[in-house]
Amino acid sequence: MASTSILDDAALPNAPSAASRAAGDVLVCLPTIPADGLPSAFEAIASAFPGESVLVASSNPPNAANEWPSLEFIPYARTLTEVGWVLSVGDYAAAAHIVADRNPRAVILLGDDHAPLNPPLLRSLADAVRTKNVDLVLPRFNLGPNDALVNSALLYPLSRALFGVDIHLPLPVDAALSSRMAQRLLSTTQRLVALNQSSLLLWPVAEAAIAGFSVREIPAGDATPPSPPPSQTDFNTLFTTVASSLFTDIDAKASFWQRARSLPLRTPVTPSASLPELVAASPEIHSMIESFHLAQDNLQEIWSLVLPPQSRLALKKLAQLPADDFTLEPDLWARIVYDFTLAFHLRTLNRNHLLGAMTPLYLAWVASHLRNVADDPTRAAQAIEITAAAFEDEKSYIVSRWRWPDRFNP
Amino acid sequence: MGQQLGQQISSALHQSLHRVVLVLASFLPGILAFLLALVVFTLIGWAISALVRTLLSALRFDDRLASHEAPGSAVFIADWSRSNSPTLLAARVTFWVFVLVGVAIGISAFDASYAVDSSYTVFLLPYVAHVTGAILILLAGSLLSRFLARTVLIGAVNAQLQYARFLSHGIKWLVLVFTAAMALDHLQIGGSVVELAFGILFGGIVLTLSLAIGLGSRDLVSRSIEKNMERPAPPRPTEVPPLTDSTPPRPKLRHF
Repeated sequence: MASTSILDDAALPNAPSAASRAAGDVLVCLPTIPADGLPSAFEAIASAFPGESVLVASSNPPNAANEWPSLEFIPYARTLTEVGWVLSVGDYAAAAHIVADRNPRAVILLGDDHAPLNPPLLRSLADAVRTKNVDLVLPRFNLGPNDALVNSALLYPLSRALFGVDIHLPLPVDAALSSRMAQRLLSTTQRLVALNQSSLLLWPVAEAAIAGFSVREIPAGDATPPSPPPSQTDFNTLFTTVASSLFTDIDAKASFWQRARSLPLRTPVTPSASLPELVAASPEIHSMIESFHLAQDNLQEIWSLVLPPQSRLALKKLAQLPADDFTLEPDLWARIVYDFTLAFHLRTLNRNHLLGAMTPLYLAWVASHLRNVADDPTRAAQAIEITAAAFEDEKSYIVSRWRWPDRFNP
Repeated sequence: MGQQLGQQISSALHQSLHRVVLVLASFLPGILAFLLALVVFTLIGWAISALVRTLLSALRFDDRLASHEAPGSAVFIADWSRSNSPTLLAARVTFWVFVLVGVAIGISAFDASYAVDSSYTVFLLPYVAHVTGAILILLAGSLLSRFLARTVLIGAVNAQLQYARFLSHGIKWLVLVFTAAMALDHLQIGGSVVELAFGILFGGIVLTLSLAIGLGSRDLVSRSIEKNMERPAPPRPTEVPPLTDSTPPRPKLRHF
């Protein structure tokens, strides 16, 4: 099982001196950066690793490389996918090829974040790999109460429940890898390319869990997770792509997660009494609930192929609640997600239809979540924790259904 | 006189009964030959389809096909369900080809055993081919209509269109009517009546959909304008709400 924890900057020992490091100890793979932003990016890398020789893989190597004598530039071609702001199969493969050639100890992969590079974060990522022998290090961005909702609803709870890895953003925008993790990902990317599935997203956290590698997340300070670029804001397309990739990965790793495996026991989360009560539904929430009601009236035929009668009955009761009482219980949401995961595996119906039919249910969860968290970050963190715990509690449900799907079929 | 009439009637009945028995007697071998040909070819088809399935499974035909699929292909082999994999499709096609060959040979045998100068085969064989084609058209149309109806239904629900089900049914019946007209035309039944009926039905459905959507949209547009005049319309669930000066800034909604 992969070990996980959060590393604070203070917890890291002092970085080894420059003399103790080999040349090209760190490889930084840059995203596609506009030409006018490149000098500041190179400056940030040079300042993050003073006195060290750093390999920089960039699709736009500078003409005057002697401005940054500590940086050695390597040509690097990124492959953009439908969800290009996160790391793609092509990114991991390209980085792994450089690793095989130059053998650095730490590889930092940066996704398409248009914010300036953060030298302390770069340093922390590399040092966690070099000094702590961690195989996969991911930044933990500062999430607001209404941020990364797909992550809070699906990605984090599923990764934690099924792979036993407590990483809050398992779909990385930036990541640091050890050389053996890069090699592991190279073999995974080769398999995906052979299966003509290179357009899928790669889930390095799950890969590390299967390989038994250590995974850590480090605080990224006040930085917020990057958003999709304006050209990729069609929610339905993004949701289908991300959920489809995740479900495919879960399907491929079924033999791993079906074995008993979970995080160490934690103190159960109870909502703080000092927090405000549930807020009244805003127009935004009303709109999502309306979308759910519309789906409840029209998608019964499709939901009946996926959800067992108990879940459909619970949804029916939910649809009858007034907007100000609208609450989708975490355990019901967990079972719904598990049912859709199973239907994806069994190909009960066309997968695009399946994920399209899941969208209104996700919006129902978002509406319930927004009411629950009331724009309060503490409350949001608690709600996410409760949701993830519900996925862990209901894990036996998916294991049973996966093994004996006919027993539960409506 | 009456006795003579009775004898004539009895004789006529006996003769007609004799003729019917003779016809049946000559018909029976033909039916048996037809059934025998059908059964034998069904069994051969079953055996060969099993062989094809085993062979393709051993060669991992599905995986090879999926790996050679062109990126961006409209139909993803990997998305096919296990009960409809390319291997099973090939096996089923093999089976049904043999069944059809059995039917054709059975009809030929039936024709040969029935009468020397009959020409049933000349009429029956092409018609069997037409019936098969019509059945295939109906099957394909039915599958396509269901697929399109679901696609439209889910897309319309996610776009928050109140008439999602109506749109979905409209699309489904458009395709079904079109399919039925094609099948009847293929069977050469109805002739111009079918074409006329199809034109009326198809045009009627399109007109109904257009009117319904147009009238529904008129109401929708007027309500939207009214709402916009009174207060800003609520954002769609997948959009970020615009901030106004009068409302305190709320955290932006970010799904990703």
